[in-house]
Amino acid sequence: MKMTPAAVIAGSLLILAAVVMVVIILPYADTSKTIPSDLFRNRTQMEAKGRDLYISNGCVYCHTQSIRAIDWDLGAERIAEAGDYIKDHPILLGSQRTGPDLSQEGGEHPDDWHLAHFINPRSTRPLSIMPPFQFLNRDNISLLTRYVQGLGMKDADRRMERQTLWKQRAVEAYTSGVDQNVEWLHAHVPEGWRNLPTPYPATEAGLARGEKIYQDFCFGCHGPVGDGMGPAQPHIYPPPLNFTILKGRKISGGIIYYQIMNGITGTAMPYFKRELESEKIWDVGNYIAKYFIDQIDANTEPRGIDAAYEP
Amino acid sequence: MPENPTRPATAAYLTARGFCLTSAAWMMMATLVGFIAALELVAPDLTANISWLLFSRLRPIHVNLVLFGFVTPGLLAGAFYFVPRLLRTELYSEKLGIVTVILWNMALVATMVTLAAGLTQGREYAEMIWPIDAGIVTAFCLIFFNFIMTVKHRNEKILYVSVWYALAAVALTTCTYCLGNVVWKPDSGSLTGIPDAILLWFYGHNVFGLLLTPLSAAAAYYIIPQVCRSPLYSHTLSLLGFWSLIVIYTHIGTHHLLQVPVPTWLKVVAIVDSIAMVIPVMAFLINIWYTARGKLGLIHGDIGGKFIFTGTIMYFIVSILGSLMALPDVQRVTHFNHWVVGHAHIGVLGFSGMIALGGLYFIIPRITGKPLFSLFLADLQYWMILIGVSGFAIVLTISGLIQGHAWLNGETVYRVLSEIHIYNIIRAALGLLIFLSAVSGFYNIFRSVFSNPGENP
Repeated sequence: MKMTPAAVIAGSLLILAAVVMVVIILPYADTSKTIPSDLFRNRTQMEAKGRDLYISNGCVYCHTQSIRAIDWDLGAERIAEAGDYIKDHPILLGSQRTGPDLSQEGGEHPDDWHLAHFINPRSTRPLSIMPPFQFLNRDNISLLTRYVQGLGMKDADRRMERQTLWKQRAVEAYTSGVDQNVEWLHAHVPEGWRNLPTPYPATEAGLARGEKIYQDFCFGCHGPVGDGMGPAQPHIYPPPLNFTILKGRKISGGIIYYQIMNGITGTAMPYFKRELESEKIWDVGNYIAKYFIDQIDANTEPRGIDAAYEP
Repeated sequence: MPENPTRPATAAYLTARGFCLTSAAWMMMATLVGFIAALELVAPDLTANISWLLFSRLRPIHVNLVLFGFVTPGLLAGAFYFVPRLLRTELYSEKLGIVTVILWNMALVATMVTLAAGLTQGREYAEMIWPIDAGIVTAFCLIFFNFIMTVKHRNEKILYVSVWYALAAVALTTCTYCLGNVVWKPDSGSLTGIPDAILLWFYGHNVFGLLLTPLSAAAAYYIIPQVCRSPLYSHTLSLLGFWSLIVIYTHIGTHHLLQVPVPTWLKVVAIVDSIAMVIPVMAFLINIWYTARGKLGLIHGDIGGKFIFTGTIMYFIVSILGSLMALPDVQRVTHFNHWVVGHAHIGVLGFSGMIALGGLYFIIPRITGKPLFSLFLADLQYWMILIGVSGFAIVLTISGLIQGHAWLNGETVYRVLSEIHIYNIIRAALGLLIFLSAVSGFYNIFRSVFSNPGENP
């Protein structure tokens, strides 16, 4: 083959044109027929402004918006569909999961959690490596929050309604005094859990594990001594629970376990069932009960048949 | 075609000199930014509330400066030297070349400033706002014009394979850059929805496939036969490698989207062609390696040849990895995590970056007419980069496997952060090594280009 300048240039360009036809134009024709998915809705103006901030601050480099069938983490309840993205301009799928996927972040947390988290992510998530975004002023943080709270579209809206409803009730309970607040908190734990003591002993090793879990997950809001004065506290309302008030107020291992597992929707208390397996929740519950509440029911009756590992 | 250089003229090859210095200088900036970003993964409050030093703003600066500041100018420096030499003529216009170098540097400064300020289109590899896109496209057009006019005024009838690659790289990248950056939509520079993702990754992958790879191949095809003092092994393999690269590499961008709702037939095309990448890769590598067969001593004795030959080995590794990663079963583990970052560093630093530096060290004595300022520093840089990039490959592959397997096993991203912490620390340390190598390289190249003849030790 004689490689003249014309052959090299015209040949390459013709190949490129043919390939563009196959891998760009044909798929464009194919995917431009995409219809909105069941949870699609248009973004509000504030959400659109928040999205601009999301783009200009490079959030896309660490957060994907692309839930796959193999995912377990945040958003895994809803696998992405082409119809979710039809107004995304540009599309923000992302290519690295340095932080969690945000496709369904909307309504996972209330707004005050996001405020504390944007100001310094380690305030709510002690091990986070996300940069602090305090330099964005409050207005911009709230725009960004609107965008994040809209991720998940109609599903996010349903979750936000739930957050708003329970936020209102949680604030009512908090403002009505300590006794009423604790009573209200306990009342929303299902009966069976309320009367359940921790079925496992608070061993030295278990308490050490509990301390580690506490520092990695709880410390930011509840503080190093469990008085609810962690670094996130100034931004969160109702404020993080002061564990020391629980003594003598019908607290049980089961209540602590249930609240950690399920979270308290409406407040900044997230659910941890995705991140902590059973033993870790019992361990951190024992740690809180022993050192902060000073009232521990570990290994008291009814505790069932002792597990094989118990001393 | 490659011949031994004889021409010492001091003022010659101004454009090549300009791109040499551009590459060496921006390598420092690009690797410094990468190093700071890596530190922030270890200590996220390090640059707290300095908006332009946010990890998330530094990352696109690092990527774009490496691609368009360090590697592309380094490879272009080589091309501006060997294209005229292979055509037995002078560059059509050194003046135009210098204008190109200046325009290129202006575009890089503008890229760095706008991205630091948060002015971005938010599409990986296509972040730059429209005026910068226009500048870069203009620069590519000027380079193409300069090359094609040089070809027109040539005294050598036959075009050597390096010239094919240089011409095709510049012509094709001009087209894919415009297409990928959606230059007909200046405001957003993007399409909407899934088609945007398909176009973006078509373009993103072609930055490597149609710019870095052909320019690197051009440099290797020019320099390895000269260093080995033997003719190229096979003309047929050159042809096969050249045409199959353009046909196959352009099909594979969608392998970034295998887990995204894009048409299945397109995924099949991307996977099949990703495996077929073995054809252009091995056609090129067999050609180069057979040319060098039995001549490794000569390669070891030439700093340019040493960088370039190492680059070809990295090309082998990165290509095999790339084909494997396109397999859906492998990608279930490797997608979205550090494995991909490791792969990218082997490709851009190990393969095309090594070859760009090899090109610089090969041509500088030939365009200045005197030896390098310091062979020792060049060799030191070689070892620092080799250790750095191998280290990146090892730690990022390990942490990528940890992330990928943990996620598949149901652990959350947050839970895995502490498991990869130590690898992020090693990664930052290796980043420092690469940055220091860039500083030493810049000093060496600057002194080599600017010291007067006779000053050399």
